[in-house]
Amino acid sequence: MPQTTRRSALGAGSLILVASLATGGAAIAQEPVTAPEPPTGLTGSITISGSSTVQPISTAVQELFNVGSPGVAISVDGPGTGDGFALFCAGETDIADASRAIRPSEAETCAANGVEHVELKVALDGLSVITSANNQDLTCLSFNDLYALVGPESIGFGRWSDAQAIATELGSTTVFPDAALTITGPGEESGTYDFFVEVAIAPIAEARGQEAFTRPDYQASANDLTIVEGVAGTVDAPDTLGWVGFAFVEENLDRIKPLAVDGGAGCIEPTYDVISDGTYPISRPLFIYVNTTKAAEKPELAAFVDYYLAPGVIESVLQTVPYVGLSAEETQVAADAWANR
Amino acid sequence: MQPNPSTVTSGAVRRGLQGSGTHWPSVVFQVLLAASLLFTLVALLVLLADVLGRGMPVLSERGIDFLTAPLSSDPAKAGVGQALWGTFVIGVIVVGVAFPLGVATAVYLEEYATGSRLTRLVDVNIRNLAGVPSIVYGLLGLAVFVGLFKWLGLGNGRNVIAGGLTVAVLVLPIVIITAAEAIRAVPISIREAGYGVGASRWQVTAKLVLPAAFPGILTGIVLSLSRALGETAPLILAGAVLGSFSSGNADLLGQLLGPYTALPMVVYRWTTLPQDEFRQLAAAGMVVLLAITFAANGLAIYLRNRYSRVW
Repeated sequence: MPQTTRRSALGAGSLILVASLATGGAAIAQEPVTAPEPPTGLTGSITISGSSTVQPISTAVQELFNVGSPGVAISVDGPGTGDGFALFCAGETDIADASRAIRPSEAETCAANGVEHVELKVALDGLSVITSANNQDLTCLSFNDLYALVGPESIGFGRWSDAQAIATELGSTTVFPDAALTITGPGEESGTYDFFVEVAIAPIAEARGQEAFTRPDYQASANDLTIVEGVAGTVDAPDTLGWVGFAFVEENLDRIKPLAVDGGAGCIEPTYDVISDGTYPISRPLFIYVNTTKAAEKPELAAFVDYYLAPGVIESVLQTVPYVGLSAEETQVAADAWANR
Repeated sequence: MQPNPSTVTSGAVRRGLQGSGTHWPSVVFQVLLAASLLFTLVALLVLLADVLGRGMPVLSERGIDFLTAPLSSDPAKAGVGQALWGTFVIGVIVVGVAFPLGVATAVYLEEYATGSRLTRLVDVNIRNLAGVPSIVYGLLGLAVFVGLFKWLGLGNGRNVIAGGLTVAVLVLPIVIITAAEAIRAVPISIREAGYGVGASRWQVTAKLVLPAAFPGILTGIVLSLSRALGETAPLILAGAVLGSFSSGNADLLGQLLGPYTALPMVVYRWTTLPQDEFRQLAAAGMVVLLAITFAANGLAIYLRNRYSRVW
C-alpha cells in the first residue's frame, strides 16, 4: 500500500530532523534544559485564552506550574488572537495569548473597560516561504519576487515566468522557471496571512500605489497541514509555492523545502539561530498580555507569570513545543517589563 | 393505454423459459447496485484501516495512560482523560434531558393531539429542525445556555452543563421523530382492545402502547446518543476548551461549572498541531470515539432484538 510507504518515510524524515536539530541546530536544543522548581502551595484560578499558536507554550507552562501548585485551576484556550483579546479586554480572562501586538481598536476596548495590561514577548515564530521538496529550480526568493508572485498585481499568473516582468522591474535578478505556479497559503482570517502581507507585500505595494493584499486566486486554508499537503504537490509538478509557520516546516522536511528569503540583506535560510537573533526577515513575536490589575489582586496569577518568565522555563518548554526562543536581551526586556508593571 | 400486467409478466416468463439470451438492462442495474454497496463499504474500510493503523500503536504503547492522562503540549504525555470525562457528562445530560422530553413530546403528538392542524404544523417543524446544521445549535447554546449560566454568575458560563444542554437540544428532534414513528407502528388494534375493556387513555398509553413501542424508541435514543457524543461544531461555540486546563482543588460541582472539553474537540485540535505525533494521538482519539459509538450502536441492536415483538 503506497500510503504506508509514505508514512514510514515521514517517520524517518522526522528522525533525521531531530538529529539535524541536535547537531546543527541551536545551542538551546543541544542540552536538555530542566525547568526550575515551580512555586508550591498556591490556590485559586487563572484563565488564559487567545492565539492557537501560543497556546501550546502556555499549556506547557501550565503543566509545569501545576506540578508545584496543583491547587491552582488554570484553563488555556486557543480560539485565536482576536477572540483572545475580545475576552481579555472584557475582563473575562487574566492572560491573552497573542501572535501579534494588540491593535489600537482592541487597546481602546481594554481602556474603556479599565483593563490595565502589560505586553510580554515570550518566543518567536519564523514564517517560512516553502516549495515542494522535489523543486530543484529555486533556492531563494526576495521580497520583490514574492510581491511579483503573490502580490496584488499577480492576479491570474498561472506560470512562474508570468511574474518575471514585475520581479525584474523591481530589481530582482532571480530567474523564474517556465513552470506552472500553484500557490497554497493561509486564508485572510489568519494571523500568519496578516503577518506575511505586512512584512513582505505591504512595503512594495505601498511604493507602487497598490493595496496591501495578496492575489485572491490561490488555494487558501486555515489548516497549516493542508497548506503543507498542497505545497508538497506531486513529482510531476514540483514548482509550488506557499507560506506557513516555521514549526510546520521542521516537521515535514521530507515533503516540503523552505526557501531562503532575501529581505534586503541577502538570502537567509530559516533556521533556529537566525530566527532567534532576528536576522531572518520574516519572524514574528509571540506575546502574552497580562491583566495587571488582576495580577495585583491574585497572588496565583502574579506567581504564574513570574514562573513563566523565570530563567529556564520557556527554554525547557521549547524543547517540546516547536517555536524559537528569544535572545538574552529580549528575555531581559520582557522580565523588566513585568517587573515594572 | 396501460400495459396489461398479465402480458408484461407472461412476456418475462416466456423469455426466462426460452432462455433467449441475457436481459442486459437487468444485469447492468444489478452491477450498479452492487458497485454502490462496494463503494460505501470500501470507503468505510479504508477509513477504519487508516485510523486503526495510526491509532493502535499509540493505544497499545500508552494503554490506560492514554485514556486517563490530561491534555498536554507534550505528545508523549497527552491523553484523553479530561475529554472522556466531558463526553461522559455530556452523554448523561443528553440521556437525562433530551430523552424524557423527546419521548413525552412524541407521546403527546401521537396519542393525545393527533390530527389537529397545530399538530401537523409542529410535526413539520420538528422534521425541519432535525435537518438544521449543528453549528446553528451551537449559536443557540452560546446565546441561551452559556448566557444563562453567565447571568446566574456561575463563572463565565462556558461549562460542560451548557455544552451538554446544547447537544441535548440538538438531538431532541431526532429523538421525537424516532419515538413518534415507533409509537405509530404500534397497531391500532392494541389500543382498541385496551379501550374495549374500559382502560383510560393514560392506562392504554402507559401499559400498552409505550411497552410495545419501547424497542423502537430505545434504538432511536441510543443512535441519537452516539450522534450527540460525536458532535464538535456546537461545542466549539458552547465554550469547550481547545487547549488545556487543570481543575485545581475544585469539587465535583466546581468541575461541572469549570472549563471542559470533549473527545471530538480534542481530536480536532490535535489534527491542527505541528508535531506529527499529535496526528497519531488524534487517530488514537478517533479509535476511542469510534469504539464508544460502535458500542452504543451495538447496544441499540441488541436491545431491539431483545425486546422486539412481531404483531
